[in-house]
Amino acid sequence: MKYNYDEEADVRTTALIRVMALFFVGIMIIAATTSPIATGTKSGERAPTLEGKFYNGSAWTDFNLESYWDSEWEEGDVNGQWVAIEFMDTDCPYCIQSAEQMGQNAYDFGGSNSEWDGAIVNFIASVTELDIQGHDSSRSEIISFRNKIADSGDDCGSSDCGSRPGSAHNFPYVDDLDQDNMKKWKVSGTPSYYLIQPDGIIAWSSAEHQGEEIRNAILALVPRESV
Amino acid sequence: MDSNIQLMFYLLPTLAGLLLVLPIGRSLSGPFESTFPSLKSVRGRLFSGLILTCVSGMAVSFQTLWISSKISEGGNFCASNAILSCDDVIGNAEYNVDPILGIPWGGIGAAVFAILLYLAYSSSKEPNASWVAMHLKLGTLLTFGGFFIIALLIYYEFQMEKICQYCSTAHLANIVAFIGFFRLMKMNETKDWENVWAQVDK
Repeated sequence: MKYNYDEEADVRTTALIRVMALFFVGIMIIAATTSPIATGTKSGERAPTLEGKFYNGSAWTDFNLESYWDSEWEEGDVNGQWVAIEFMDTDCPYCIQSAEQMGQNAYDFGGSNSEWDGAIVNFIASVTELDIQGHDSSRSEIISFRNKIADSGDDCGSSDCGSRPGSAHNFPYVDDLDQDNMKKWKVSGTPSYYLIQPDGIIAWSSAEHQGEEIRNAILALVPRESV
Repeated sequence: MDSNIQLMFYLLPTLAGLLLVLPIGRSLSGPFESTFPSLKSVRGRLFSGLILTCVSGMAVSFQTLWISSKISEGGNFCASNAILSCDDVIGNAEYNVDPILGIPWGGIGAAVFAILLYLAYSSSKEPNASWVAMHLKLGTLLTFGGFFIIALLIYYEFQMEKICQYCSTAHLANIVAFIGFFRLMKMNETKDWENVWAQVDK
């Protein structure tokens, strides 16, 4: 009996085609049923986690940024609460200088101002300690900066923390002295600002809009009833 | 459908695969031998268990990839305050991708199980071909390498203090596949391999 050897009938080709077909069916199902959003700190990306202890005015308690997100939120809905994050250092001169503006923004957009008819913007400060000589911080210094406590013995920059511009803040200050959150968010310098939608998607970042104020971003992006 | 019930679609075939690749496989395959005569031989049972496991492993890996995509959209699938919470593990942006290329672990798992499936399936279709020994060695090597990945992912779970049951099923599938490939590789080195009917009732 004569046997013909046919290389095209190699079972490996058939097996490969079948397995590849199965694999691509799986990929196509995922592509058809999901719209994944990358996690990152650019506009349109999902905000990374931001965890730690935060000072709320009376004590240090657990903080998790995810607790702010509302997955049901839809664009234009004024009932959703936005989040504005400032990455700062209590010894950074520009952070000290902008403390007054931050306090004013928190008042204007945080639900206390009756003239603001837009969605509430929750302000959060994530306080780090930059690796720069003279930038020695502590939880006590964070409290002194936030509450603007005079003669506390804590120096912000080279001056008493109580002498910083603006009034005391009433928004959460997260302890990021170990720079964990700062590294996770790839923050290169302070202050850095992020405006985040209620669904956890970053709407604006100061890194992408150099020279632009977060106040202008809020006015431009946060939905208002009158608009 | 509850996510833990849905998990059974992957876990049960993997457990069946495990029984088939173990020496006790005969007790499970007995009732099916008249329908699937290949189950009568040790080699047939090993290939069947291996293929079943690789298909389950690939499917559960695709499911984890799907879950991570859904979580990134802001949804949830199996979130829980209990220790078993695959959302917390798969949704953790720090750990849910490989540290070098940033590819989701689910995607890596699906691709690897597809390769394993190809190696097992092609070998089962032409078991006496000259390349089968190489396929079985490659399968053994790949699944052995998987143990290091499993160790890394279990370390991540310890860090998060959460367990992802879907990931654990994929890990189990890798272990089962290793047993299957290893036993087939060893058998391939003996003369029993070619005389398949000599293996019946062994």
